[in-house]
Amino acid sequence: MRRRVALAGAGLVAALALVTFPIWSSEWESSRYATTVLRDMLVLGILALSLDLLVGTTGLPSLGHAAFFGAGAYAAAIAAQRLANDNLLIGLLVAMVVAASLALVIGIFAVRAAGIFFLMLTLAFAQMVFALAFQAVDLTGGSNGFAGVQRPRLFGLDFSAPDALFELVAVTFVLVVLLLWRVRTSTYGRALVGIRENERRMRALGYDTTRLKLSAFVLAGAVAGIGGALSGWSLRFVSTNDVGIGRSVEAFVSVLIGGSGTLLGPAIGATVVLFIERVLSSSIPFAETVLGVLFIVFVTAARQGIVGLLATAYSRVRR
Amino acid sequence: MIETRELRREFGGVRALDGVSVRIAPGERRAIIGPNGAGKTTFFNILTGELEPTSGQVLLAGEDVTGRPPHQLARRGIARMYQRNELFEPLRAIDNVALALGASLGPYRPFTAPPATTVSAAADLLDRVGLASRHDATARALSHGERRQLELALALAQRPRVLMLDEPTAGMSPAETAHIASLIASLERTLTIVIVEHDMDVVFRLADHITVLHEGRVLADGTPDAVRGDRTVNEVYLGKVVA
Repeated sequence: MRRRVALAGAGLVAALALVTFPIWSSEWESSRYATTVLRDMLVLGILALSLDLLVGTTGLPSLGHAAFFGAGAYAAAIAAQRLANDNLLIGLLVAMVVAASLALVIGIFAVRAAGIFFLMLTLAFAQMVFALAFQAVDLTGGSNGFAGVQRPRLFGLDFSAPDALFELVAVTFVLVVLLLWRVRTSTYGRALVGIRENERRMRALGYDTTRLKLSAFVLAGAVAGIGGALSGWSLRFVSTNDVGIGRSVEAFVSVLIGGSGTLLGPAIGATVVLFIERVLSSSIPFAETVLGVLFIVFVTAARQGIVGLLATAYSRVRR
Repeated sequence: MIETRELRREFGGVRALDGVSVRIAPGERRAIIGPNGAGKTTFFNILTGELEPTSGQVLLAGEDVTGRPPHQLARRGIARMYQRNELFEPLRAIDNVALALGASLGPYRPFTAPPATTVSAAADLLDRVGLASRHDATARALSHGERRQLELALALAQRPRVLMLDEPTAGMSPAETAHIASLIASLERTLTIVIVEHDMDVVFRLADHITVLHEGRVLADGTPDAVRGDRTVNEVYLGKVVA
């Protein structure tokens, strides 16, 4: 009980510190830049967290998760332009519904396969979505991308200023963490873990595992769609990069480096990945190679990721 | 309770089952015995839905359930204990059983943890199979005998009408075998039990009806005494084991 109160308190402090970052960092010389990078880390974090519902919780290694991120990004951007929508909630809803619908269609086929076949199917479907985004120039801008995405408003709040948009991203991130934490510890989340550990037994116990996996796929897709919408609003730009394999791999690497199945691990992984790609790359050469090496080290020597390593170290210290 | 009609199953030209018809009455304790390769496991996997028969029918309480997937048969009251343990390795024993109990409540509760009644029912079941002191141990950490007990607890958690036991005493010490055999013997008499077992002491202790399979066919079918006295059965199977 005391441990739970302490955890909740620490979580609250961390969430407050995160959301107020632009305020308490405003004295820094590079506050503006840091806020931008942190914002993008949180967006990638949302994508990685949603992917981990599949990879870490359910045991489904998807390599096409950017399809839903990109679908959400395009959906929110196109809704803003074509439907002249600047309502935040409608934008998010459109992004979620489009991403979830796409996940439903892809999932119906993908969840019937397991392991490497599931991975290849998700990759193949995502490449189809990529090709579609590339060719539907009228809608998506094709290879030029979709520029000038309009940032949303809600009840008189205007999210077009950089700090306001950061607040939006940070609050959404915190809500996504809370949502996924609740789902993971619920009856539903436990059933997903059961599938990861022994799908055959789950079926023998009376669980319709195909439907359960599909539901997780759709839920993960919807959350990825939220991340995509935030990405479009953040950069005021959506491109085929957002649906491409590069983004899928970025998310996957974030999950594995941070620690799959550890709730916050994927978000921490996203922080590391973007730190290397955006910050380190301006001060050292071959930053992408550093990322590659780091990935290999974690996959071969520390499968449990950063959070897993920390947890092991902590339990050793306590003992 | 369970009836099969002319079940056949082929694996690429090999006939694992070649027209097996059996009737198992409600509350009956039926043993399926026979040499290796007789088709026992195939028969089992068809009754639990993990395999589809090439032809023939499976009836559960009069309903044709041929070819239905495992989860649908589980919901109709069939539970099984696997020959090779199929557990949730990193989960605690009590969470293993809670998952089994949760199946009947339905998994689509994304915002609520399993109710306290599920947890206490899981604890009761673990006590009942003799794992009272091992609630918090992970499945992985249990000994072989304890893992078999947990297997049984998972099957019982489904509150089945038919309990299918695939070699419940496989790999167990004599003491563990005796323990699990008396556990099975102590189950409600209304529960229909189908058991595949190589330990003939266990078979003759538990079964009130025995079906002998040989090369995919029913070689003999009757009470334990009748089967023990059957000459062909002794020639192909019992003679080698019991003699």
